[in-house]
Amino acid sequence: MALILVDGKEIAVKQGETVLQACMREGIEIPYFCYHPSLSIVGQCRMCLVKVEGAPKLLTACTTTVPELPREKKLDGRYDMKVSVACDEAREAQRGIMEFLLANHPLDCPVCDQAGECRLQEYSYDYGAPRSEFVFEKLHAPKRVVLGPHIIYDAERCIKCTRCVRFCQEITKTSELSLVERGADTIVGTFEGGSLDNPYSVCTADLCPVGALTYREFRFRERVWFLQAHNSVCPECSRNCSVRVDSYKGEVLRIVPRYNPSVNGYYMCDHGRLITERMRGLETRELPSLIRDGKPSPMNEKDFYARLVALFSEKKYRPGDVAVILSGRMSLEEMAAYKRLSKELFGAVIGDVLLRSGESDDLLVRDEKRPNLEGARKLGLPVSGKDEAVSSLIGGKKALLIIREDPVGEAPQEERERLDTAIGSVETVVVMDDHLTATAARAHYFVPLAGWFEMEGTTVNFKGQLQKTTRCVAPPEGRKPFHDVTAEFLKAAGKEAPSGFREWFEEVKKEIPVLGLVKAGEIPLKGIPLPERKEKHG
Amino acid sequence: MAGELKVLTANLGMKGTTEIDAVMRRGAYEALIKAMTRMTPDQVLGEVKAANLKGRGGAGFPAGLKWSFLPKGKDKTRYLVCNADESEPGTFKDRLLIENDPHKVLEGIIIAGYATQSAGCFIYIRGEMPQGARVLQRAVNQAYDRHFLGKNILGSGLDFDIWVARGAGAYICGEETALMNSLEGKRGEPRIKPPFPAGYGVYGKPSNINNVETYANVPAIIEKGADWYNSIGSADTPGTRLFGVCGHVKNPGLFELPSTVTLRELIYGHAGGILGDRKLKAVIPGGSSVPVLRADQIDVTMDSAGLKAVGSMPGSGGVIVMNDSVCMVRALHNLMRFYAHESCGQCTPCREGTHWLELLSGAIERGEGREGDADKILSLSKNIMGRTICPLGDAAAMPAESFVRQFREEFEFHIREKRCLPETMRMTTIYSA
Repeated sequence: MALILVDGKEIAVKQGETVLQACMREGIEIPYFCYHPSLSIVGQCRMCLVKVEGAPKLLTACTTTVPELPREKKLDGRYDMKVSVACDEAREAQRGIMEFLLANHPLDCPVCDQAGECRLQEYSYDYGAPRSEFVFEKLHAPKRVVLGPHIIYDAERCIKCTRCVRFCQEITKTSELSLVERGADTIVGTFEGGSLDNPYSVCTADLCPVGALTYREFRFRERVWFLQAHNSVCPECSRNCSVRVDSYKGEVLRIVPRYNPSVNGYYMCDHGRLITERMRGLETRELPSLIRDGKPSPMNEKDFYARLVALFSEKKYRPGDVAVILSGRMSLEEMAAYKRLSKELFGAVIGDVLLRSGESDDLLVRDEKRPNLEGARKLGLPVSGKDEAVSSLIGGKKALLIIREDPVGEAPQEERERLDTAIGSVETVVVMDDHLTATAARAHYFVPLAGWFEMEGTTVNFKGQLQKTTRCVAPPEGRKPFHDVTAEFLKAAGKEAPSGFREWFEEVKKEIPVLGLVKAGEIPLKGIPLPERKEKHG
Repeated sequence: MAGELKVLTANLGMKGTTEIDAVMRRGAYEALIKAMTRMTPDQVLGEVKAANLKGRGGAGFPAGLKWSFLPKGKDKTRYLVCNADESEPGTFKDRLLIENDPHKVLEGIIIAGYATQSAGCFIYIRGEMPQGARVLQRAVNQAYDRHFLGKNILGSGLDFDIWVARGAGAYICGEETALMNSLEGKRGEPRIKPPFPAGYGVYGKPSNINNVETYANVPAIIEKGADWYNSIGSADTPGTRLFGVCGHVKNPGLFELPSTVTLRELIYGHAGGILGDRKLKAVIPGGSSVPVLRADQIDVTMDSAGLKAVGSMPGSGGVIVMNDSVCMVRALHNLMRFYAHESCGQCTPCREGTHWLELLSGAIERGEGREGDADKILSLSKNIMGRTICPLGDAAAMPAESFVRQFREEFEFHIREKRCLPETMRMTTIYSA
């Protein structure tokens, strides 16, 4: 551990840590573009030049480590290095770098998507000169270059920090990008005929400190200062990447990874990020509906639940008569609510949580494609095995309840026919989901649920990290989280029930005692690690 | 005037000196045999250290000291690199050595390989020197045939190979770490230091890199000893140096001289004086990257102490002489075009600064200069100087700064009058009075 003095403030520097890292940790601002904690250090932008006492020239803080001096050589008998970020010499260098970076920059902030969250813009304000002395015509470089299926490159805005290049070399190890040409003509490019097409490609747009890399799905959608940020969790696999959801006027416009060292680090996959693109335009209903010949007809909520309650009390289904298909897309609160409902309706907790699996990689993507399967296991709900066909769960049942799953829509052709037959022979089919799925079209009753980003809830990822997702956009009145549907149901049946996320979270706590002291409103952003379950799943 | 002292260039101008038999009759590889059969590696290293051999690539770092930075021990693969990417404007010493006496260079490399117990040497030769590459490869093959290369050379136990690799046309690849990246097939960009090549060099292995001329000095040091070497030249740069004089002189060419020679002797003596018997205007004494001198600053010795006294440095030994027909603005613009074209583009000050300097010097040259532009050149140079990853930024900033400092009135005249000084008008041919 070395001790440095930065403009009068003492900072301890760990072995191998750079001056920049130590200063960032202590909240001392040193401007930088090319440094990123997850990427190799290249010292290319030269923005972090600082004065180090005794050094013949300014040094880049991002590359400068601090060797511990022997006691007698310590500066002022105490310090291993004296650094200044704010001295005239360092300030002049910072201003000089800004002058260079802006010389050929198009300054098209009014039409640039990065405006408002652009380092170049911020540093121009903080460190730049009030006007440019570059009187020549700016260099022109390729614009709107399609680097891949998502990423569009503007070489004129690019400051050649190579974060994107290093990301593809070091994180995805796909090396699609490289600097090409040289000198002031240097741009980022792919190899001839190549394309920036990897499962994490949009992360390069996050990494880009300026507006050079943007992605199709968000560019020109909205000025970023109008966006409202919400903390959430990606529901696309059991990794549960921490995300920030940016919405505007009730629509999710952008999802970006949120740094969480115990879950996803700095990144997320494109599949998860672009989930809202796939959800856009899905047909749904604002009210519970009866379905006749595949066509939903909406009903007033109160009548609907009364009718359902009457149906179940009249039919008196026994646990053996009923198949319930649950989903790892349900939050812990929804699962706890289901357990309560199941006991009330059938006298026992029945049902299977479907295991949905797919491709995985060694970076973030997990094979289990539901966010809360681990939560289901924690609550003791059975997760059905990989090869179990859904039709075999349904065969011979009188009633079928499917929550947040679309087995018909996701089934391969052969299984689909079997499913059709199996569902067709069930007397009462209730489907609850956030949109009208292929399965819902075969149901008798459809209950619209709030979508993932429309409700509060907690999930547990594959490692046992419990995180909370918030309501990023408000659903229409009639679409509720399943735990609120349960409450409606129980109310209609004349029973007491908790209501709302907070009360249902208390129910969850009864089942996961380690959460005992945690309040629903105080779940940290990075989540809470839960202890491992005793028995391992296969 | 002291005459030339031909140590490195003894074989230049002779016939057949690219053939191993011919040069061996003239004493080639005797130093290698002496080193490998009668000296230990440490003794060889000690001799080179004692000789205080200064690197000839431009920075003048002591070669023996550099060799000693390589980690010791048998288990580690170490490499030597010979920097033959000579691309500095005004510099042509290494090309002549390689094309005319390749075995002298190879002998020096193999001795260095013995001293450092290295596995081999990569010779990285500039892509625009196809003849040099052919001559070198042929010489390497001949050295293998004579078992000066290969396994257990001269029974010393040293296995040593030499690979000749050609560059692809980038000045920046003469920078040691950019050269290593290029060798490895990567983009020719300098690496940040530390780590230095001695710890992490070619293919991540400890490496030592020296210039062609530096290696060529080694055989004579081993053969005649450090004391003899130190008796030549000045204390800070012992031995002989190769000076390539070009530009407006009557007798341009390569001269091997002790660095105690003065710049005046070099220009007016060896190089025969100024072309067209015109007045000397400016000299760049060590390749285009060092600060320019005025005509009244040439009574200095060509070692680092002498040139430092007038604000310049020996650099690569390429002396560019300009007579009074030269427009200094145009000359600077020419240099700035070069550096802007050769900047690798990875770090901001060099990438943007050289481009800006090219535009600015060009604007002044075309008569589009504005008041304050001379100061802008100075401030841009200051913003580049010492703030880049590698010395290319400095190499561009030093001439820019010095041209304006030394010839300020001419720049101001250009800006004010929107034309060249009368005697430097473009119509004036540089070859006649």
